[in-house]
Amino acid sequence: MNETLTQLEAADFINRSFKPLPKAYGDALVEAARADPRIVALCADLVPPTETDLFRDELPERFHNVGIAEANMIGMAGGMARCGEIPFCHSFCAFITKRVLDQITMQAAYPNLPVKIVGFLPGIATLLGVSHQAIEDVAIMRSVPNMAIFEPSGPEYHATMVKLALDWDGPVYLRMKRPETTPDEFTPRSLEIGKGMIRREGSDVTIITSGLCVLESLKAADTLAKEGIESRVIDMASIKPIDQTLILESAARTGAIVTAENHNIIGGLGSAVAEIIVEEGIGLSFKRVGIRDQFCEGGTTSFLMKKFGLNSSAIAMATRQVLEKKG
Amino acid sequence: MRNDHRVLDLEILAARIRRNVLEICRQRGGYAAQGVALSDISACLYFDELRPDNEGWYHDRFVLSNGHDAIMTYAALAESGHYTMEELRTYNADGTKVDQSPLEGQLGFEITAGSLGQGPSQAAGLAWGFRQQGMDQRVYCLFSDGELQEGNVWEGIMFAAHQKLDNLCFIVDNNDMQASGHAGDVMGVEPVDEKFTAFGFRARRISGTDMAELLDTFEEARNTKGKPFVMICDTRLWDGIDCLKKALPMAHYTAQSAIDWNKGIKEIETTLTRLEAKRDG
Repeated sequence: MNETLTQLEAADFINRSFKPLPKAYGDALVEAARADPRIVALCADLVPPTETDLFRDELPERFHNVGIAEANMIGMAGGMARCGEIPFCHSFCAFITKRVLDQITMQAAYPNLPVKIVGFLPGIATLLGVSHQAIEDVAIMRSVPNMAIFEPSGPEYHATMVKLALDWDGPVYLRMKRPETTPDEFTPRSLEIGKGMIRREGSDVTIITSGLCVLESLKAADTLAKEGIESRVIDMASIKPIDQTLILESAARTGAIVTAENHNIIGGLGSAVAEIIVEEGIGLSFKRVGIRDQFCEGGTTSFLMKKFGLNSSAIAMATRQVLEKKG
Repeated sequence: MRNDHRVLDLEILAARIRRNVLEICRQRGGYAAQGVALSDISACLYFDELRPDNEGWYHDRFVLSNGHDAIMTYAALAESGHYTMEELRTYNADGTKVDQSPLEGQLGFEITAGSLGQGPSQAAGLAWGFRQQGMDQRVYCLFSDGELQEGNVWEGIMFAAHQKLDNLCFIVDNNDMQASGHAGDVMGVEPVDEKFTAFGFRARRISGTDMAELLDTFEEARNTKGKPFVMICDTRLWDGIDCLKKALPMAHYTAQSAIDWNKGIKEIETTLTRLEAKRDG
């Protein structure tokens, strides 16, 4: 069942036989647009996989399926934003960042316009392999001035992503992941721009993580607790702006930090945390868990997380290593 | 004069390729509807048009732009013995070499496609390079009508025409279908042939499932001098298997549980038997 549902996300097809997956993001966007007539949704062909089928059906006069034309989408969004609209642009993470970086910088970021860039299929999570994988997107978008980046760790944070995008007065990149199975009932949760969330408290080591790696980090912390290691786990859904205060406080408190992200180890969350620690002049035991600067392959998410060292056992292993170094 | 035996032999091969598509995709799902619809083009390319080299591969180059149509290549190369069906049945499995959207280096694939609209420019670059080096390789590139929505495609088209690349042949899978529905409803690209003509191509619009017409058009492409050639092949998803066309007319992606695979294979086998009887009778 799991495998087939991953395919649902990897490619859009007529869904006849499966229980529909929740579309918390898509619902929230429609709700926000009903309250604010400036909100417009654009999508480059990938309508159900970005949950914008809801917007298309509910508010067709404010929905544009631009076709397979991402550069055009960002340009049009820039134009719409210049006359007071708030466009949300949708595609897969790979196509809506790497493919249109110049359009994003010139037509959204430099003029500091409220163009909201929403990508699905973050990192390695797709059957379709390298072409559809975004393992550089956070590094790229983090280096664009004015841009904010938010990455939810599960469907309970999907609705609040729309609010965060609207609260940020400028361009935003949302790095979204559709659930692969119908989750149990969940309570929507909110989060704050620039604030990390302590999801577990511990004093031996801090694991700073986002997105898909949050649950894996919590699992790793459970395993480590059985070995007598108490980990603080921080969900850094607000990757930019980042919670500098919490990072420095955690560094001082635990003296050892592991970062874990569904992204290349270069330029992503791990790099962001390292930059803050080094600039503050703090010496500590530190390790990044992520894709080790290599191209990956397609597969089911659990297979890829294991193969490329992003799952709970890889995170637990890295944590033991930093603690050994800490002494 | 067209050789009717050649047409019939290729039609039989196309039917066998269709059967391979279903045998491969029935394991875990896949891009079956496209593979089925492209089987005639695939048979024509791999068993007639692309000239062989001395090392058991092809002298001419085929560039697939829409990576997910790789199934057409896998299913054809099973008939030529370059792949075994056993290998191909791992399509879409964790750890497989037979990726749904393959990487270059995998037998049959010149470029890493999948991010749409990037094939035509690379094919034009290859064709220019061969001509520059005095080589006689021809370059064929298949892409879909949906990809015509990418501006990048038209930049490649402009270069090919400007450079008069008559060793280049574009094949457009004009199936009026993309991930979110009919291409004509999403973002219309018609009239495709007139657009190519205006850009300096010789354009022919044909049925993508009429073997005789395909053969004639490939021949015209080879004989065209001084400009690049494009064949706009009208197809519909599942073309060649009527029962599936009726069952699932809009399946951009076919889940394993979405159709009755046996029913489709049975229809292909009936066709095969008829064609083989015609050949042998």
